[in-house]
Amino acid sequence: MYDNVIDQSKDITILELLDRVLNKGVILKGDIVISVADVDLVYLGVKLMLSSVETMEQLKSGNAILPINPGK
Amino acid sequence: MSENKILFNSGSFDGLSEEIGKLTNSEDSKLRLTPDNADSGLAKLVLTLVELIRKLVEKQAMRRVDGGTLTDEEVERLGETLMKLEQKMEELKKHFNLTDRDLNINLGPLGDLM
Amino acid sequence: MDLLIYAILSVKNDSEKLNVLLAEMKGVAGADLAAVAFESTSVVVSNIQRADLAADRNTAIEYAAVIETLSQHFALLPVRFGSVMESKEAIISMLEKNHPDIQKNLINVENKYEFGIRIFCQPEILRAELRAKSEAMYKNLLPPATETKNSATWDWVNKKLREHRLEELLIAHVDSVITDITEQLDRLNAISKIKKMVTPTTIIDGVFLIDKVLKDELIHIAGDLQNKYHGLNFILTGPWPPYSFVDFTVK
Repeated sequence: MYDNVIDQSKDITILELLDRVLNKGVILKGDIVISVADVDLVYLGVKLMLSSVETMEQLKSGNAILPINPGK
Repeated sequence: MSENKILFNSGSFDGLSEEIGKLTNSEDSKLRLTPDNADSGLAKLVLTLVELIRKLVEKQAMRRVDGGTLTDEEVERLGETLMKLEQKMEELKKHFNLTDRDLNINLGPLGDLM
Repeated sequence: MDLLIYAILSVKNDSEKLNVLLAEMKGVAGADLAAVAFESTSVVVSNIQRADLAADRNTAIEYAAVIETLSQHFALLPVRFGSVMESKEAIISMLEKNHPDIQKNLINVENKYEFGIRIFCQPEILRAELRAKSEAMYKNLLPPATETKNSATWDWVNKKLREHRLEELLIAHVDSVITDITEQLDRLNAISKIKKMVTPTTIIDGVFLIDKVLKDELIHIAGDLQNKYHGLNFILTGPWPPYSFVDFTVK
């Protein structure tokens, strides 16, 4: 159970991070090497990872996920 | 990237990471036109715009009905027209195999159409 | 050989500190990091062969980690993953051309971190609550259909009217939560960008820029808001380098 909480917060951290580093920040026009298609590929990897976590959660009993302690 | 960036999370519900995935990745709702799907792609584009306008008209109409300034006859005529429009739209969606979700184009920084 | 660009930094007279820091760090694929300077700004780069730059998750994360470490020591503008320029000269010319914009943006983010707040609802529960409220507020729907009227049409209009009122209440509710949050953030002098009703579940999606030392205050505020709005789920993330607060287009 508790592992799921950690997995989930790790997932969210990575999703938030990728959203920023792939979609935000200074754009140096004409010099972006990674194309839009590639960006989708990067996300695809995350999606696969997420679905595996979902499956794992379903396998374990109960759907409730413990809240994460504030702070850190 | 081992550091946890979540400062506060109040009892995360089921599918939270999925929802965040949806928010941070608009891939699903991108309009992709290719030679293979040109037909349904075009239908999707056209119906999206029609649906947007239909919903705006309906919203505006309900605002006026709610305002209470319309006569019974006016409400009835308006209602009948809008109801038929909605039915027609349902038929078209079915015909082209489209769901409500399909008819929402993500405009990136402009947000969703609906 | 090309240069992969990580961030534009405000270095002022501290270029020695930057060099020491860069010597301790590694870039994407273990490459050495270097600084390209122009006046008080520096661009952090590493050598790369365009063909070798992998578009995968791990590389993006490595890239972001460099920006993260730098942001703990310098005011900076993060550069989007995958930005490559062909030479130092090209970078210097870019810095020169965009100097006023870069300066303005760097001053804006100085000593600040970005935080994200998302507020989710369980759409059915929130709607049910508001529906009850809405029905109590407006007892008077349209008069029921009589023989002279077309009942199907009137039923339909009444149904739509209910939905319309519910929608208006929902928006008013979300607006009041936003006002509440904005007031709290104003006390911390935050610069915020808030979008509402992004999906049926996500009613608020916002980012804001706040002084580095105010992180704990923020956690406190999130807790207070949570206590006030039981039905909503809050998630606060950060601190992030100021990715969402780069407000200029490179010329």
